[in-house]
Amino acid sequence: MKVVVRAFARFREVVGDVNTLDIPEGSGIQELLTALGARSHECRDLLFDEEGRVREHIIVMVNRRRLARNAIASTVLSEEDEVAIYPPVAGG
Amino acid sequence: MLSEKETGRYSRQISYIGEEGQERLKSAHVVLAGTGGLGCPAAAYLCAAGVGRLTLIDSDQVELANLNRQILHWEKDIGRNKVISAREKLEAMNPWVIIEDIFETVTMKNAPALTEQASLIIDALDNFSARYALNHAALQNGIPCIHGAVCGLDGHITTVIPGRTACLQCIFPHPPGGSDVPVIGTTPGIIGLLQAHEAIKLITGIGTVLENRLLIWDGRDSSIATVHLERDPECRACGINSSYATRTGERQ
Ligand SMILES: [Zn+2]
Repeated sequence: MKVVVRAFARFREVVGDVNTLDIPEGSGIQELLTALGARSHECRDLLFDEEGRVREHIIVMVNRRRLARNAIASTVLSEEDEVAIYPPVAGG
Repeated sequence: MLSEKETGRYSRQISYIGEEGQERLKSAHVVLAGTGGLGCPAAAYLCAAGVGRLTLIDSDQVELANLNRQILHWEKDIGRNKVISAREKLEAMNPWVIIEDIFETVTMKNAPALTEQASLIIDALDNFSARYALNHAALQNGIPCIHGAVCGLDGHITTVIPGRTACLQCIFPHPPGGSDVPVIGTTPGIIGLLQAHEAIKLITGIGTVLENRLLIWDGRDSSIATVHLERDPECRACGINSSYATRTGERQ
């Protein structure tokens, strides 16, 4: 199935603009992020910590709704879902 | 009451917001935490718009590397306290605005007292520990807080209204790292101006503010996206088990 990935800020530089990703039917957010992380070392470092967990500060949105952190592991995607990832900025 | 001089000074906006709107601006007290890249443009436009009282909080001194973006600080100000440098420029810009300077770092301890007199707070800080402290104080005092942050070509902004919207801790439960970030000066310029814009809307009641919406600015292609937000019932700062919920009676 195809899902749309929208990457913001630093992710956009690494992942590129809007991407349509083909992932196996029944895949979830975890699988999608793993597929993205497999694209390059830089990508993986941005998304995952040393233990392979999704970095805590990253904001994941599905169809423009913020996904609670504890829902990342259990959220299953459907065809044409839009997943956005944003690594928030902190400076002023 | 507005003087004739004030009515003239603000005539272009009074024709939009009315004298009543201008009076609202005049009776507003904005507490602006941070007089750096975000705080300078926000303060300048709020001062020009005729906000009655502006309190500036910062514990930094002006450095040479600030000058690419912190437009109220000039070459001659290097080494001076930012709050003093900013106050001078703002007073010269608009003598009708009362400017207060507070040379302090925002902490969990001092934030409630620093903000209790405010009609609204602007979070123009540069680190998340101080931002969380300001968020706590805003919740505790029931005062709206306009949060903005930047890095490089990226920025975001949202308006937190206690009891009504997601708070900073709901949106960003874990602090993003990074300090001394690269910044193209126009990025905090844009986000700081959006913060001033949100403030003017909140004070005068025109338009709608970024309630439960995070606006994300991408300077690479000058695009804007908005993301819907929701309160986190488990939020440490405003969720069901927080002191905020207990005090406001939100906890049933
Ligand atoms: Zn909260």
